[in-house]
Amino acid sequence: MYIQRYGKYLLLLPGIIVTGFFLVVPVILIVVVSFMQYFTMKSPTLTLQNYIDFITSPQTPTILANTFGMSIAASLLTLLVGYPAAYFLAFRIESVKTRNYIISLLLVPFLIDWNARTIAWIPILGEYGAVNYILQILNITREPVPLLFSRWTLLIIWLQTNILFMIFPIYLALIRIDPDLINAARVLKAPPSKVFFNIIFKLSLPGVAVGFTFVLVNTLGDYITPALWAGGIQVLGLSIASFAANFVWPYAATLSTVLVLIAMAVLFILFKLVDIKKLVE
Amino acid sequence: MKNKLAKIYIAAIITLIYLPAAFMIVLSFKSGANISFPIERFTLDWYIKPPAGEYAAYLSLFHDRQVFQALQNSIIVSMIVAILSMLLVTTTALALRRRIAGRDLLFYLFLLGFLTPGVAVGLGLNFLFSFLNWEFSVWSAALINVVYAVPFGLILMMARFNPDLVFYEQAASALKASPFRTFRKITLPLIIYEVISAAILGFLLSWGEVIRTQFALKGIGTLSTFINVQLGVNPLTPKWYAAGTVVSIVSFAGLAVFAYLLSKTTR
Repeated sequence: MYIQRYGKYLLLLPGIIVTGFFLVVPVILIVVVSFMQYFTMKSPTLTLQNYIDFITSPQTPTILANTFGMSIAASLLTLLVGYPAAYFLAFRIESVKTRNYIISLLLVPFLIDWNARTIAWIPILGEYGAVNYILQILNITREPVPLLFSRWTLLIIWLQTNILFMIFPIYLALIRIDPDLINAARVLKAPPSKVFFNIIFKLSLPGVAVGFTFVLVNTLGDYITPALWAGGIQVLGLSIASFAANFVWPYAATLSTVLVLIAMAVLFILFKLVDIKKLVE
Repeated sequence: MKNKLAKIYIAAIITLIYLPAAFMIVLSFKSGANISFPIERFTLDWYIKPPAGEYAAYLSLFHDRQVFQALQNSIIVSMIVAILSMLLVTTTALALRRRIAGRDLLFYLFLLGFLTPGVAVGLGLNFLFSFLNWEFSVWSAALINVVYAVPFGLILMMARFNPDLVFYEQAASALKASPFRTFRKITLPLIIYEVISAAILGFLLSWGEVIRTQFALKGIGTLSTFINVQLGVNPLTPKWYAAGTVVSIVSFAGLAVFAYLLSKTTR
């Protein structure tokens, strides 16, 4: 009897324990340590100095603008490129077999090592890379054009590494749309643009929100790619990593708290606008 | 006409995704140490040339011992992640299916696993382990990746639950089947694809993860974190493209074996 009643809670236990220990406690510790003067667990001195330092630092506005500006730009670009792909996949490719084939084809490059995937852009866009080689052969330019190490490179790399995370949730949302709804609108002579915006796009919004969130979070946390490819633009994650590596732990914790808080605020607004649970119900 | 546009567009996306992979493979066979075009000669030097010195960037891949240690770590960590995320995703998804108290809250709690930036979780885990005086190991590296992988599997599984599954289960327990037998005979066969997908997702996500793993595993690390560190301290040579190619081939092979087993067991 008790097993019947509490069994469902028992099933939750493993997930809660692991998530608690490896996610919730670390995040709480980040917040606690961010108020410490020195990293110690025995009667620490609590202070607001780290936050005052962060707010008054002349670098702060640039870092915040870089971090969130680039992430939001990458998410929008990925949405713009990924949405049509998901749409075509869901509505223009009729055979389910072909669809599954294409999806597996999209999945394969994600088995490729993350570093190799990133350094592979050097022979493509680098000074002596393929693009510059072709440009010079075609006599379009004489000197190599600097294509690497710019914000655009970062956006292209992020587009390439994240696009599956955008296509897949949107595709899942699109194939859940009842075809009768679309047919009904067509029968009632709704113009194609109206069918798309009022029915298809609206009903795919949960997928869009999930995809957008995936890309936003992935890019916000990724400081290695900007460090390598964006000509050394400073982002929040990079500051955290360098302070952490130098054992300036309380200040690294302060920066982490700020990063988590702002990320959560963005996600909260997004989830308020769109009910993402529709995708799983 | 419309369908043609669709096909061209999807082909373009696939090209974009495969472009770096193609260049990675081509460059790994390039002679000479610099990364440039045109390629004069193709060679296997970066894979198998006997060592002429100690300098890591110029040591061929199969003669670099550290690569093998890192590969071993990668396989251990990713296998643990695959098994644990499979178990956690299945139990959690089955529990969250019912309208239980705090369901939404719990769902969002698990989602936080990938919503929280890895650098913050990793740093917090460093605080926790330093506080407890614990050492990092393959287990800490695996578990920080499990928390990251679980939400992906959870969404996948919950999005695809058969609405009739509950009725089948009720029918089974009405016929006096024990909960365990019901799970084994009714539930599991109906969700087996999602269960295995959760394991594959866990394996793949942890296989490529750099930031979280870097914070939770000291020493040589996994192959991805190892290459990442090497790229920072050594000049870029085709060796690292060869490393990427070998890693990718290993994971393709693993996935193919897995898919084959899958097609056997579900018959």
